[in-house]
Amino acid sequence: MRVSPIKGHARLSRWIGPASAWIAAAVVAAVCFFIVGHIVREGYAHVDWKFLTTDPDPSPAESTGGGVRIPIVGTTFLVLLSTLLTFPIALGAAVYLAEYMDERWAVTKAIRLGLEVLAGVPSVVFGMFGVAMFSHGVFTFMSSSGAEGSDVAFGRSFLVAATVMAIHVLPFVIKVMEEAIRSVPLSYRQGAAALGVTKWRAIRRIVLPAAAPGIATGVILGMGLAAGDTAIVWLTLGGTMNMAVDNWWALDQIVNVLRGTGSTLTTFIYFSSPAGEGNAPELAYGGAMVLILLVITLNAAATLIGRARRQTR
Amino acid sequence: MSSEYVQAGGSVTAPPPSIDLTRRVRHASEHLAQPLLWACAVFSGAVVGVVIAYVFWYALPIFSRQALPFIATGDWDTAIDMAWTEPDVIFGALPLIAGTTLTTLGALLVSVVLGLGCAIFLAELAPDGLRRPLEAVIQLLAGIPSVVFGLVGLSVVVPLLSGLVPKDAYDVVTDIPLEGDSLLAGIIVLSFMILPFFVTVAVDSLRAVPRSYVDGGLALGIDRWRTITRIQLPAAAPGLLAGAVLAIARAIGEAIALSMVAGSIAFVPSAKWGLQYFPFMPVRTMASAIVETGGEGMSIPLIHDALFGLAAMLLLASLVLSLAARMIVSWWGRRLALDTGRSL
Repeated sequence: MRVSPIKGHARLSRWIGPASAWIAAAVVAAVCFFIVGHIVREGYAHVDWKFLTTDPDPSPAESTGGGVRIPIVGTTFLVLLSTLLTFPIALGAAVYLAEYMDERWAVTKAIRLGLEVLAGVPSVVFGMFGVAMFSHGVFTFMSSSGAEGSDVAFGRSFLVAATVMAIHVLPFVIKVMEEAIRSVPLSYRQGAAALGVTKWRAIRRIVLPAAAPGIATGVILGMGLAAGDTAIVWLTLGGTMNMAVDNWWALDQIVNVLRGTGSTLTTFIYFSSPAGEGNAPELAYGGAMVLILLVITLNAAATLIGRARRQTR
Repeated sequence: MSSEYVQAGGSVTAPPPSIDLTRRVRHASEHLAQPLLWACAVFSGAVVGVVIAYVFWYALPIFSRQALPFIATGDWDTAIDMAWTEPDVIFGALPLIAGTTLTTLGALLVSVVLGLGCAIFLAELAPDGLRRPLEAVIQLLAGIPSVVFGLVGLSVVVPLLSGLVPKDAYDVVTDIPLEGDSLLAGIIVLSFMILPFFVTVAVDSLRAVPRSYVDGGLALGIDRWRTITRIQLPAAAPGLLAGAVLAIARAIGEAIALSMVAGSIAFVPSAKWGLQYFPFMPVRTMASAIVETGGEGMSIPLIHDALFGLAAMLLLASLVLSLAARMIVSWWGRRLALDTGRSL
């Protein structure tokens, strides 16, 4: 490599370069703080107990009233449901990919490649897929039936949204879990094998407990993705603000709630923003503040778990 | 890795007839585990196949009926309005393709310039006390939901830009009203959304450059900054490229935020009135067209087909980009291994 002797302009660049890197970092940090600060400043005045415990009022005349109780419940439902669907399959797949997979086998190669490309697919595409796929008559059990006399399902419900969300987050969760399992030192497994412990028992009793923090990080990451997504929810949860049944908390209504439509914090913000039908920015900011707090909490939990893991090693 | 320790069945021999129930269950689980785990992995892979096959299959009708007009003509918004009542409508997705391309390229430019500075700072320049907090900030930026970006963009960026629209725009640009929610607003919002993804990959790439390269430069008496720009950046170029490709993949799929700030009118921006008007033209992207129309329009067969045409184009683009990034990284990994005798 040819490097010319330092001239006048090079001496100038000696501090201009680093200075611009510092400025770039400062700009990014400032924008991030501005976004969070702006949300908190605008949302703070509207988030009170009443806002958190009343239901949205989507009628145009009342669009400045109402709160986010149903959206909070909706986000919780959707996140828990999709985590429930994702967790066992993701863990199983991650264990297989990390511990059993024969790298030379074409099927496992294809699975790995498929998961990698699936992670890059935009969530609108999943939303489209979901509402079209689950509108087929055979999936009527997952939502309500569609138009009178036709052989189609409505295709929008908590069950549908959670299923689509699970597909969307699956590759990310598998990837984090697989890395967690792979990062367990080989000596743990060798020690188990030396004691005559079989492979599956060693995985269950030694490898998985050691990888637990990383697995938990994967779960939290999936929750964050599910809580923050709008496109899938807007397309597959129906775009209504309230739930299909009024007494959604009643245990005997669980099937109706799962098969019914609803809203989450993200669709509430979209609906209430000036771009949506509700046009009540102050409500949107209130919802955004709740959502941001949720995301920050999940982020912090993942970071803390990661730090605890580093310290135990 | 699997050969290192005892295989199932290797140490567990056939149970004697008097064995108790728990041990028998344990023995069965030993043999059941592998096929079950395999089923999980295959199921995950199968889901991928189903999604991809479904989207391409249902995109076939629109492409077989009107392939060329669909990607090369410019009538989208009126076509959608007509499709609710008319039996046969020709959709033209050209403005949507233009919207996606322009917002993506603009945002890529901004986020690569800003993100490169950020990545150099994080990987090389930052004092320890600043690196951790900035990493947390970037992680937070990646976690902010797109609808929140849209909301902030709509109430901060858009009013700011509407004050910058040239005063004579109303008289000069006769085809379309120019306002704050525009291509430029879309680019600004989108660049901060994709920035964390580029920065994360870029930092990893800079750190993956073998230390001996840097030490060699420093030993020759080259100063720190020139070592970074002349040695580390060129050495990390393939990784930076992969990061940019992943950022593009992220940008083309962004729906909600762009539908909120970019104008939401299917219009091909044109510079024929003068470049100063260009950034303020409204656009609508493919992804935002899906999310705006898909809520109710999916029950109309014509709209259903047209939206699947858009989804298939997005899917194809994201598959190609993911594979490209993967190929770049694996090629780079092999080259680094050749250079240094160790793998990435």
